[in-house]
Amino acid sequence: MLPEDSKSQMSEVKRVLVADDSETVTTVLVTALELAGYEVETAHNGVEAYEMGVSGRYDLVILDQLMPGMLGLEIIDRWQEEGHQIQTIMLSGVDDERTVVNSLESGAVDFIRKPFRLPELLARVRQRLPG
Amino acid sequence: MNAPTIGLIAVVIVFVVDIVLLLGLVVLKAFHRRRTERHELRRAAYVATLSRHLASNEQSDRIDEAAADDDAFIDAVIDLRNVVSGREIETLTGLVDGLGLVKRQEAKLRRRFPLGQRLRAAVSLAEIGDETTAPVLIEHISDREAEIRIQCARGLGRMQNTAGIDAILERLGIEDPWVRVRFADTLIGFGAKATWPLAAYIRVNLGHDENRGVIEAIRVLGTIGDREIGPILSGVLRVASDPEVQLAAIEALGFVGGPMAIPPLDHALRSSDWRLRAKAASALGHIGDPSVNRALAARLKDENWWVRRNSAAALGSLPGGDQVLLATMRSPEQPARDAAAETLADIGTLTAARQRDEAGVATEEDILLLEYVIAGDRILV
Repeated sequence: MLPEDSKSQMSEVKRVLVADDSETVTTVLVTALELAGYEVETAHNGVEAYEMGVSGRYDLVILDQLMPGMLGLEIIDRWQEEGHQIQTIMLSGVDDERTVVNSLESGAVDFIRKPFRLPELLARVRQRLPG
Repeated sequence: MNAPTIGLIAVVIVFVVDIVLLLGLVVLKAFHRRRTERHELRRAAYVATLSRHLASNEQSDRIDEAAADDDAFIDAVIDLRNVVSGREIETLTGLVDGLGLVKRQEAKLRRRFPLGQRLRAAVSLAEIGDETTAPVLIEHISDREAEIRIQCARGLGRMQNTAGIDAILERLGIEDPWVRVRFADTLIGFGAKATWPLAAYIRVNLGHDENRGVIEAIRVLGTIGDREIGPILSGVLRVASDPEVQLAAIEALGFVGGPMAIPPLDHALRSSDWRLRAKAASALGHIGDPSVNRALAARLKDENWWVRRNSAAALGSLPGGDQVLLATMRSPEQPARDAAAETLADIGTLTAARQRDEAGVATEEDILLLEYVIAGDRILV
């Protein structure tokens, strides 16, 4: 039996985890990403996002910085410490230089500010998940 | 009927009434909860439908016209406007316009009753109204309901509608204090756009309505912080006789800053009113220009404790001010030494002096300060 992460890599459809405590944000993102052909799951708090992330089932995680349970940056730090290689795009309503730099230095591959433009967000996702 | 029987009947009646009231309360609560849940479900469904509209170019799901009267739909639109930007906002605006939502809300706001619906309409228009809504919001800036007036002002602020500035200012002096504060917040949101209308308002209204609106307008100007307004504020400080206006002008000059703010504050530092002297000292400390160090040092000998305290605190924050305070420790005047020593403790000079003393490298000033604290048995940590 193949491990979960290998399954994801072999599968045609790329899997994305959207983690945000706002249902409006997750609904918009899930709708847009599914229409773009991705398979999408959601997490609504930091702990859930962390646990779903370590399952290795996702090709990309879109992670809100400010969530109950665990902050986005804490989650990325823990994944890094534990050796999980998870492509993460940080999503945040705060876009000051410090937050952006901290996110990218922690290992996030990109940073998207809320409110966001859907075409731009999808382009950034496509860039990380080619094909 | 004897007395015990009457008493028993009364107890039973009270018990039954209590039970009925309790049941009524439970039913009401359950009804409210159910209504909230249904509202939330409808809102989520609208968010999903609208998300599909935003994510795909073709409008897959038709939105019923009745949605325009549904609070859940309006909430969904407001939520989405805070999540997406750019073309998606235009798409949402198109949908809202297509349903005539704004016009319907305007009509609701114009009704006399019920208050709940009128208030809801004002909130909706404040959130999703466009420039065409501004005249309606201006019309209701003098609504009989305070909360509606606040929402209308908020909406005009969100739109950055410049005609709204004058409309809000017209009400500033006659509003209740809590409404005035909310209006002031909205005016702050206009930023530099509001600077000159505020200046004109102050010029015209100084001395009217007990200066309530003028004082708030001066505070708004201070928070906006446009330096060009310095001469206007110093003019107000010069001509106003109301100390509350003068205090507001001094504080605002401190926030606005710049070299033009210093001469009027330096003058206020020598006012006969101790409140003005104390406020001017703080404002000068806020500006941070060390050219006023000497003027502040003179105020360390002021007869009023607040003036001495604020002058010392201002010196503590100014470049070279700590040296002025240390020099004051040689002054023959104890009130001045007290004020200086307190600030030197606050800014960490005393702790540093103690550390140097323990290390055997204390300077003459360190010893002077430490001896003063010990001799006076002052607890300054």
